[in-house]
Amino acid sequence: MAHMNTRLLALIPLAVGINLAMGQFVAVMQLPLFLDTVGTILVAALAGPWAAVTTGVLSQVVFTVVSGNIVWIWFLPVHLLIAVYSGFAARHRVFRSLPRTLGAGLVLGAAAATMAWPIAYLVFGGVTSGGVTIVTTLWSGAGIPLKWAVYLASLSADVTDKIVSFLLVRIVLHSLPIRMASRFPLAARALGRT
Amino acid sequence: MIIGYQPGTGPLHRAHPLTTLTIAGTVAALAFVLPGPVGPAVLVLAVVLTAVFEKVPRILRVALIIAAPFWVFAALLHGVIAQDPTRAVTLSARITAMIVVFLVVLASVHPARLVDALVARRIPFELAYLLSATLQAVPRLRARAREIIAAQRCRGLRVRGPFARRIGVVIPLALPLILGALAEVDERAIALEARGAASPSRRTPLNPPVDSTVDRLTRWSLGVALVVALAIRVLA
Amino acid sequence: MSVEFTAVTFRYPGSADPALSNVSIALGERGSITVLTGALGAGCSTLLLVAAGLAPHVTGGDLQGAVRTLGENGTTKDGRASLAGRVGTLLATPWTQLSGMSFTVWEEIAFGPANLGWTRDRIDGAVDRALATFDIARLAERDPQTLSGGELQLVMFAAVAAMEPVLLLLDEPVQELDPRRSDQVYAEVLPTLAEQAGIVIATTNVDRAVDVADRVLVLDNGRILADGDPAPILGGSTMVAGGRSTTAARIARDAGFSEPYPLTVDALIQRVVS
Repeated sequence: MAHMNTRLLALIPLAVGINLAMGQFVAVMQLPLFLDTVGTILVAALAGPWAAVTTGVLSQVVFTVVSGNIVWIWFLPVHLLIAVYSGFAARHRVFRSLPRTLGAGLVLGAAAATMAWPIAYLVFGGVTSGGVTIVTTLWSGAGIPLKWAVYLASLSADVTDKIVSFLLVRIVLHSLPIRMASRFPLAARALGRT
Repeated sequence: MIIGYQPGTGPLHRAHPLTTLTIAGTVAALAFVLPGPVGPAVLVLAVVLTAVFEKVPRILRVALIIAAPFWVFAALLHGVIAQDPTRAVTLSARITAMIVVFLVVLASVHPARLVDALVARRIPFELAYLLSATLQAVPRLRARAREIIAAQRCRGLRVRGPFARRIGVVIPLALPLILGALAEVDERAIALEARGAASPSRRTPLNPPVDSTVDRLTRWSLGVALVVALAIRVLA
Repeated sequence: MSVEFTAVTFRYPGSADPALSNVSIALGERGSITVLTGALGAGCSTLLLVAAGLAPHVTGGDLQGAVRTLGENGTTKDGRASLAGRVGTLLATPWTQLSGMSFTVWEEIAFGPANLGWTRDRIDGAVDRALATFDIARLAERDPQTLSGGELQLVMFAAVAAMEPVLLLLDEPVQELDPRRSDQVYAEVLPTLAEQAGIVIATTNVDRAVDVADRVLVLDNGRILADGDPAPILGGSTMVAGGRSTTAARIARDAGFSEPYPLTVDALIQRVVS
């Protein structure tokens, strides 16, 4: 890691905090979402892929530490994928229009589910606690082979989650006051303005 | 539920943080390498005894809360539906061993000591800073999220309704949290820079933990034990 | 002089109006205490950030003209490296200045010196001196996140002073303090620090600052409106009428005294007596 500038040093812990705080809104609204990568996607749009990767790794580590649940660290590769993908998606101006944003979220949801699947299935035999496992159990009980039940469960959860996450980041980028937005030149590009 | 550091004077509290981390890493790896169900089960027994011996038995209750859902789902998915109770026990024991040993580490390694150990090991200042600043930022932003929810409740936040409407409600909750955080970035960056965070000098570790011969020997022997276990597993 | 501005104009990013326009000034000599004042948004805080080399480096924006701080150019990497620790900057809000790397007040104050790579012995000495200067030794073991606003402001001030800078740039250093503590800062702490450093204080409230100021600079809309001895400048009727002077001066004006109005309560009483 090269000498990181202090604005990134200030931004990244706050972005991780956003990732870990969004769960409270989701819980209060009883939504079947995580929104725990919104901060990472936002950093990707504001500061590029490398800052997003740092945010992603740190989020997964700190989430594991504060939840006390070591299981989450196994999903680090998924968060890394999300960070890299969002970085390049932002570079390709996916926040320019609503359909592009939703499409980018859809593709990421499918990719993230595909990556989470071998981890959930091979490492944990489909048992990863929480809502996704309930869905897995339901599919599995309905006669679908376990490995496909695990995949279907992550797919439905991840696709909705990433579409809503991308949408939320687009709204944030559009709401940035000019003085703040001009501090993040990459955001203008993510929105397709430059 | 208490997750995190608990003051104490046990051997793991006194050990170099990297030694404690190595022990945890070895246990987590062994949970997968040792043949089930006996291997992982013995490991669970060992880490539970460690927690008691280290005088952090309170973590066992937390471990139970975290692990119990795994046991239930493992029993359902593998024991009942797939008719393979041995695999259910193996999976449960593996995950339980990892959960307990991780909580033991969290209870016995103070984050400041770990950061100082890492700084003394010459890891880049940025990494040490990010790790510790993030650990402090998370509770702050979570508290702010709770304040926002409370404020919106006063204005009659409606938590029911169709899916799309509930997503629409998340936006006015999330925006103040996110924009507020972004507004802090410049001021925090200025403050960091004013305190020499970008100074080219190498940061002085404030209280570097002692790395004794026992620590180093422990780490080496754990590494060897892991390689041997792995070799036996692959060859067998 | 510690800070020399030559025809300096500075704009924040995304804003058309300059925060500083065509400012030429020299200030911050060791042992001196200069007070910068003006309405909110007049450019006092910006002047400090530019002098410290933090604007435009961290804030972004556009700088014209020349700035020399302790003989260095703060817009270059080498210049900033040489300034690290020699210029101490205290910002107005204490909360966002917490390092995030400290679990005790002692560690918070040691954060700057440790970043400068000082030896552990030198850090110990500097932190203990700062704790003593600010009379906050009893806070040393507290978690900084649990401090009150006033305590936190003193701790952050001590944390900046512990780096033993030769130039101290202070933005509203007593805003969060109770009257007793702000008196203490002006009467005891600042004169002590001025033995080793040049001090520049930016504040909208000059009531206490006039007690220690050798010189006052009044800014308006990014321009220098007045510069010189506090008594004639702040005692003039335009400053008093513009709300840029002290409470005592305002009272004296309302009571029909003649210019220059007395700036402190003591001076006001003397006027009344004579």
